[in-house]
Amino acid sequence: MNPFYFGTSERRIFGIYEPAALGSKRKRAAVLCYSWGPEYLYAHRTMRQLAIKLSMAGVHTLRFDYFGTGDSGGDAADTDLKGWESDIALAIEEIKDMVDVTKVSLIGLRLGATVAASVATKLWKEIDALVLWDPIVSGKEYQLSLDPGERERWHGGPKAAGESAQVREASGFVCSTSMIRELPALNLGDMISPPRTRTLMLVTERFPFHQSLAPVPGGGQSGSLDIEYMEAVHPWIEDPTLTGVVPVGVIQRIVNWLG
Amino acid sequence: MTQKISEQTVLLGRRQSLVGIVARAVTGAPPDNPAVIILNTGIIHRVGHHRMYVTMSRALAAAGHTVLRFDFSGIGDSDPRTDGLAPVESCLADIKDAIDWLERDREVSRVILIGLCSGADYAILYGHTDARVVALVLMDPSIPATARYYLHIIIRRLMRLRAWNRVVTGRSRILRMWLEHLSYALRPKGKYGQITLQNLKFHSYLEQCYQGAVDRGIEMLAVLTEDSTRQTYRMQMIDAFPNVSFGNQLKLELFSGSDHSFSREADRSRLNQLILGWINSMNYRDLSLPVRSE
Repeated sequence: MNPFYFGTSERRIFGIYEPAALGSKRKRAAVLCYSWGPEYLYAHRTMRQLAIKLSMAGVHTLRFDYFGTGDSGGDAADTDLKGWESDIALAIEEIKDMVDVTKVSLIGLRLGATVAASVATKLWKEIDALVLWDPIVSGKEYQLSLDPGERERWHGGPKAAGESAQVREASGFVCSTSMIRELPALNLGDMISPPRTRTLMLVTERFPFHQSLAPVPGGGQSGSLDIEYMEAVHPWIEDPTLTGVVPVGVIQRIVNWLG
Repeated sequence: MTQKISEQTVLLGRRQSLVGIVARAVTGAPPDNPAVIILNTGIIHRVGHHRMYVTMSRALAAAGHTVLRFDFSGIGDSDPRTDGLAPVESCLADIKDAIDWLERDREVSRVILIGLCSGADYAILYGHTDARVVALVLMDPSIPATARYYLHIIIRRLMRLRAWNRVVTGRSRILRMWLEHLSYALRPKGKYGQITLQNLKFHSYLEQCYQGAVDRGIEMLAVLTEDSTRQTYRMQMIDAFPNVSFGNQLKLELFSGSDHSFSREADRSRLNQLILGWINSMNYRDLSLPVRSE
């Protein structure tokens, strides 16, 4: 395990590189894309375990904090989804250089999955495989779910103490105006129909949107979409009895699917 | 004084298995300023709830302190220990490793420990044992329930039918806590068993730790939120440890309106200002330098 900073002096990104424990004929690498806010905090342990399991299966991994989140540089008020996309692109370049590969897998959880899907539509030539673990389907719905009690404030209602015109707070996390503007435009369907790369969507929390999706078989130069439903705990949710529990079944499925 | 800061990743401990971030001012930090170590809260990794420890680290570093935030073994990015230590002993050993590293690598001779909840408990459990620790910031530490605490809780719940229902059906948390309190009170001294974070507030050892900290001249800032499951009044900490002569070494701050994890940005900002102001006001420069550890 190697924790380090990468990026530029203006945009320092904290990452942890986990080298592959097993040597294999073909070098493989993956970038893990975290979720946001409280979901990032509670799922941190699970994402670390995912990185360790991938490493044991021969995959080099890089997981990192987006600018303005976790240990990365910047303030929470500096975060925006466009910036996240550039951070993911930077992480892809970083691990390609470190491992000497031309393609990487992208694995995202929740909001990180949706942003990873967006990156994959643009950088599909550099992506081997895309894993979307309970991705956010609709940015608008997600924004409203952040804290139902705060719906009114999100939409121009009175601000809480300490909030400014530039930021809002969601479940204790500062959310920038840019992010508030960008979230409603986020639509997973636009990013995976059709899939540009080999894609697995792992769903443990069903929404009506999932019924409208059909698997897309791969072939030729086009991508594919596998949709799998699993029963598992939601590691991104704070729960007095389940916080810290790692959904090993989901992790193993990801490792196996990546082959 | 606010300085530009830098942050660096570090691997600490005998097996280099503890992951941490050191923040410090790029230039101009007074060399005799004590370093600050921020401890994990529960299983949340070193960034803390709502990223509060990142902003706290940066604020303290900008004021001229070297600040280390790191993950205990088995928490966040740090690997579990392999020596079979019990959870409390493991965390205390990790704190020692962190201070040893600061002393050896950064030539630090004085340290301030900051912790919230379990982090505060580890700070007091460790702090009184190491001469390099000069101050503690304890946010919502374990405080034994006092008679006044029980009275407050009972008065609050008297009018709630659901609370009575819980008592009758044996699901009352307060009743359970009181019975546990009673069972510890009736045990002969020295028969408390192994210390855990769960039984710490019933343990006479906690009072010994506070007295030990006072005897060593350690300054303490206790920040108490309005989490009524932990405390209901500002002086509860004094009442709970009647044999400890805190004198001027303990400053108590009741943080009105804040929940246990300082969920609001305004509370976190106020907390950082409070801690920074308190550290700046301390006369730690007058304290004699501790003997360097072997």
